[in-house]
Amino acid sequence: MRLTPWLAAAALAALAGCAQIVKVEPGQVTVKEALRLSTTSAWNRFELQFPLSVAPGASEVWTQDGVTLDALAFFVGIAQGETLGRAIGGKKLPQFRSTLTPGEIVELYEQMVTQDGSAFALKRIAPGRFGGQPGFRFEYTITRKSDSVLLKGVAQGAVVKDKLYLAAFTAPSIYYYDRHLPQVEPLLATAEIIAR
Amino acid sequence: MQRRPFLLGCGCLAFAAAAGVRADEYDYQAPPRFARPDLGTDEGGLWAFMDREEQRLKRSSFLLRDPALHGYVNGIACRLAGDHCPEMRVYLVRTPYFNASMAPNGMMQVWSGLLVRMQNEAQLAAVLGHEIGHYLQRHSVERLRDAKSRSSFGLIVGMALGVAGGGSLGTLAQMGILASSLAYGRDQEREADRIGIALMARNGYAPAEAGRVWGQLLEEYEGAKAAGEEVSSTNILFASHPPAEERREVLAAAAKRDWPGAARMGADEYRAALAPHRMGFLYDEVRRRRFGESLVLFDRLLKSSPRDGQVQYFKGEVYRLRGSEGDAKLALEAYRASLAMDNTPPEAHRALGTVLRHAGDNDGATRAFQRYLELKPDAEDAELIRSYLTGSAS
Repeated sequence: MRLTPWLAAAALAALAGCAQIVKVEPGQVTVKEALRLSTTSAWNRFELQFPLSVAPGASEVWTQDGVTLDALAFFVGIAQGETLGRAIGGKKLPQFRSTLTPGEIVELYEQMVTQDGSAFALKRIAPGRFGGQPGFRFEYTITRKSDSVLLKGVAQGAVVKDKLYLAAFTAPSIYYYDRHLPQVEPLLATAEIIAR
Repeated sequence: MQRRPFLLGCGCLAFAAAAGVRADEYDYQAPPRFARPDLGTDEGGLWAFMDREEQRLKRSSFLLRDPALHGYVNGIACRLAGDHCPEMRVYLVRTPYFNASMAPNGMMQVWSGLLVRMQNEAQLAAVLGHEIGHYLQRHSVERLRDAKSRSSFGLIVGMALGVAGGGSLGTLAQMGILASSLAYGRDQEREADRIGIALMARNGYAPAEAGRVWGQLLEEYEGAKAAGEEVSSTNILFASHPPAEERREVLAAAAKRDWPGAARMGADEYRAALAPHRMGFLYDEVRRRRFGESLVLFDRLLKSSPRDGQVQYFKGEVYRLRGSEGDAKLALEAYRASLAMDNTPPEAHRALGTVLRHAGDNDGATRAFQRYLELKPDAEDAELIRSYLTGSAS
């Protein structure tokens, strides 16, 4: 059963011709030397070399079945004045400020994922914890412009020492979201912000 | 209804009535009904291609599937098209840019960014009439043949097919690219403008609104320029040949001719038809981050409807999202003004609370957030806003 996702990911990489897949082994993993996670299952880390509408400019993107089917994106240590993700196609993105409310941080996320014309809808946002710190959690849908597929997503974030840490999991609402969520939730619960 | 006999039936009477009254360039006679061209011909190929695109569009999640709004826009288009109405299928698409197009197979697209910009039914009729003019004169087929004769046909078809092959862009973007690769010529645009104004006026619409559509677009363009925003090369003003200024002037002059009984604006009907979707359209508009353009648009809408709390709220949103020097104060003023107007969404209280919170006015912010929760206790962010009030979150 491990073969199928690898094949799918490899095929995607071959199609793209410019991306590389690196296996994330079970155990302790650190993203950008600032966010530590413990994973019990293997993931595929997608080395981005082209804009990806669900997470352009993410620090890292992990996937099980391929990034168009499930994508767990990490944005680590976004500092004052930086954008969440990268602008694509000549668009402009708003800047992060450490005083933003969680609602305004969702707006940063929305602006990033709708650059290609996709439609975003916030379903729920509530206080929560992320990386061992007080933060927030939000659920959303994205209607992907390229193929009209309805995606579901859940994100957790926190602002620590004026920097933003955010993890967002996005997958088609049919099958893939529910298939991978049981792995994503416990994984994110292990997150620890270890930035200096 | 008695005073608008043209609106009854499907406009076929209108054509007959106008014929022979004046014999000049505005005395347009539509051709007989079109039959589906043979698949072996170039026109048949173009239709088949558009049919495939139409199938994709029908499945798109970006289609507005509201029978009421669709019936309203379709009704206007149908009256304008007269005898050709049964050949036409109208699709309303949620895309926040100014565009309407009509493909040679009868597929008409109207984007939400166009709907939100029109002030009244007459303006919408002007744009739809123009597109129907292209269709009735089969301009895209002319264009295709012209391109073929200049041996760029292969390039255009290659581009169209390559894009349709499922690249990273969606159907609508594809249509845009296809449309620009088959862009109409200068004379075709002039002809469609003449037909458009004739069709709208014969159906009782005030023809002066046609030139105003271009005037409004030019104002928004000036607003974008003044705000230092780049204007994309896909902007309709750049794609337009002849230039927008000329079209505005020619249409304004044409409107001064004698058009008996053509005075209908339909502002109230238009507003009522759009009302259920306007929040969404305005939301999409501000998220384009074309703040200069949006402010010109919102000021224009407020001028014609000074107590429109919805538009006033979104004006505040423009300032808040732009976040330049002094914008927090402008946003605050806009939100406060909106709360004294009609039809203001509860979100205005939340936005006011957010701006006050940033300004350090915690008491004011608390009151605004409380009011928001009173009005929308089941809001998607109710838990978060409650946590602000209890101080349990940062």
